[in-house]
Amino acid sequence: MHPLERLVNLVALLLEAERPLTFEDIRERMHEAYDQTDPDTAKRMFERDKGICRDLGIPIEVVPDPWEVEHAYTIRPERYYLPEIAFTPEEISALFVAAHAGREGSPAEEAVRKLLSGAEGGILAGVHGFAIATDDASDAVLTQAAEAVAGERRVAFTYRTARGEEGRREVDAYGLAVRGSSWYLVGRDLARGEIRSFRLSRVTSDIEDLGEGSAPPPGFRASDHVHVGPWGPGEARERARIALSPRVAWWATKGIAEAETVAVRDDGWVEVEVPIAPDLALAAWVLSFGPDAVVLGPEELRAEVVRRLEAVLAEL
Amino acid sequence: MPSSEGLRRGSKVSERLKRLLAIVPYVVRHPGVELAELERLFHIPEEALVEDLNLLFLSGLPPYSPGDLIDVEIQDGRVWIRMADYFSRPLRLTRAEALALYLRGTALAATPGVPDAPALTSALGKLADALGPETLGALPERTSAARGGREAAALEVLRRAAAEHRRVRIEYFAASSAEITTREIDPEEIFTALGNWYVAAFDHRSGEERLFRADRVRTVEETGETFEPRGLHGAGRPLYSPTVRDVDVRLILAPEARWVAEYYETRGQVEREDGSLEVVLPTTHLEWVERLVLRLAGAVRVLEPEELKDRVRELARRTQEPYR
Repeated sequence: MHPLERLVNLVALLLEAERPLTFEDIRERMHEAYDQTDPDTAKRMFERDKGICRDLGIPIEVVPDPWEVEHAYTIRPERYYLPEIAFTPEEISALFVAAHAGREGSPAEEAVRKLLSGAEGGILAGVHGFAIATDDASDAVLTQAAEAVAGERRVAFTYRTARGEEGRREVDAYGLAVRGSSWYLVGRDLARGEIRSFRLSRVTSDIEDLGEGSAPPPGFRASDHVHVGPWGPGEARERARIALSPRVAWWATKGIAEAETVAVRDDGWVEVEVPIAPDLALAAWVLSFGPDAVVLGPEELRAEVVRRLEAVLAEL
Repeated sequence: MPSSEGLRRGSKVSERLKRLLAIVPYVVRHPGVELAELERLFHIPEEALVEDLNLLFLSGLPPYSPGDLIDVEIQDGRVWIRMADYFSRPLRLTRAEALALYLRGTALAATPGVPDAPALTSALGKLADALGPETLGALPERTSAARGGREAAALEVLRRAAAEHRRVRIEYFAASSAEITTREIDPEEIFTALGNWYVAAFDHRSGEERLFRADRVRTVEETGETFEPRGLHGAGRPLYSPTVRDVDVRLILAPEARWVAEYYETRGQVEREDGSLEVVLPTTHLEWVERLVLRLAGAVRVLEPEELKDRVRELARRTQEPYR
């Protein structure tokens, strides 16, 4: 008998049996499946099958049998069957697209396949012709981070900063935030005593569980703690005024929700205001446009741009 | 074409059981579904699907007389499964499956310009309700999307043009050459990667297949012509593909500029004792590298080519002018 056939029969039998069945019962009913002459060999095969089922999430339960020494096995239908969820065709199509929006072979694909049966047909008709490329964090790390957040756990991991420095972090997992296609774990960094965000693609180890963590402060929102923009990490305190040439002005500030157009000159140049953090990282963004962007203020940012240009010339 | 022996070896029995326990409920509830649709929905080659269905045909309940077996019928490329009421509903989601789907859905819904975002958000709500707190825990209220990613005004027009195979004329800012150009393209696929939307298209200006960033498309208009799709696919392929015209740029990156080696396709990485990294960055155009060097001011040193040094010097001087 093919192992797949045997496994399907076992699941069907345990789901449909009117009472929990001992291994002897199972052996008797599934006569060709566990018919080895040596009962130990047969039992080992059954144990292996039971393991495969449990790994897939099939809830085979062991029930102590009051009259016999042997245990009995059952699958309770209410623990096996997925509850009915009334998705609209648009919803199920959207979930199908989302499940495939990344590396192949994610458990998300398995999840959506289970949800399909409740849908009316024609799911593929609602799937538009676009595919989505992968996120940069591994599925394993993302799932571990999600587990930690779901259970309010304290975790440890190795983190590589943008500067390439690696170190161990201990964090109470408070939340997850997504920005662009990047995931961030947000939580209390125990060594620093404050809430920090960690980009999951920079986590270079597994996320290790250290036990129960603390609860986030009231009103906590993970995305409030992800500060990324051309102004660099940290809170933006001031605003800078930048002039952009017509060549770049129409797209330069598209990704920056905090940018504001303040003037359009007759020659087509556009003046915008964007937040600026104390470390003047905004200078790098300005320089990436070359002569197509000019700092109008504040003076310290102007000076920083000039200083960096001199540094470039000195390096050559 | 892989042999059935190959398929059997390549696919573990637990994988096959998992897949079958999802396929059977679907077929029970969609009698006469096409094999081709199952292939796509469940990501399984037809040969492997038929092989598994033929095994299912031998399964059922004791005493396994003909009336106890699952009835599988395959005819004219369509499938019917009867006598399998106990498999008419799928198995519950495992925790890992539920988490993965929830997170992928949340990420996609947060991407600006996704047409299905409202449907996706309501689907995720229903999913979270149905699975209950024992599966997702505090996750739904602890997960949020930050603003970011670039909206692309041209996206809707491009998406429609791709769906209807319409040729379009675009004004495009090519970061590689830092120039705005007008060109006609045949858009075939729209996809998002690293927070940006891209268009995979055949470019009539260069006579080649190209990727365009949707937020750099300034204007788009239909030419009135249609095209025959060439089967271009964007998602999942590298955003940079090498060509014969490539120049090797050799750079030394200080620690704060190391991200360049992760973000762009580089090779020949050499760790240096002072913590900096030497890399080779192959490129077709030098214009964008000039600007990258300016942006990294002080954190990068250009080793080669000489031409790049000259061009950076020229660009830095022009950038300095308004500050004098």
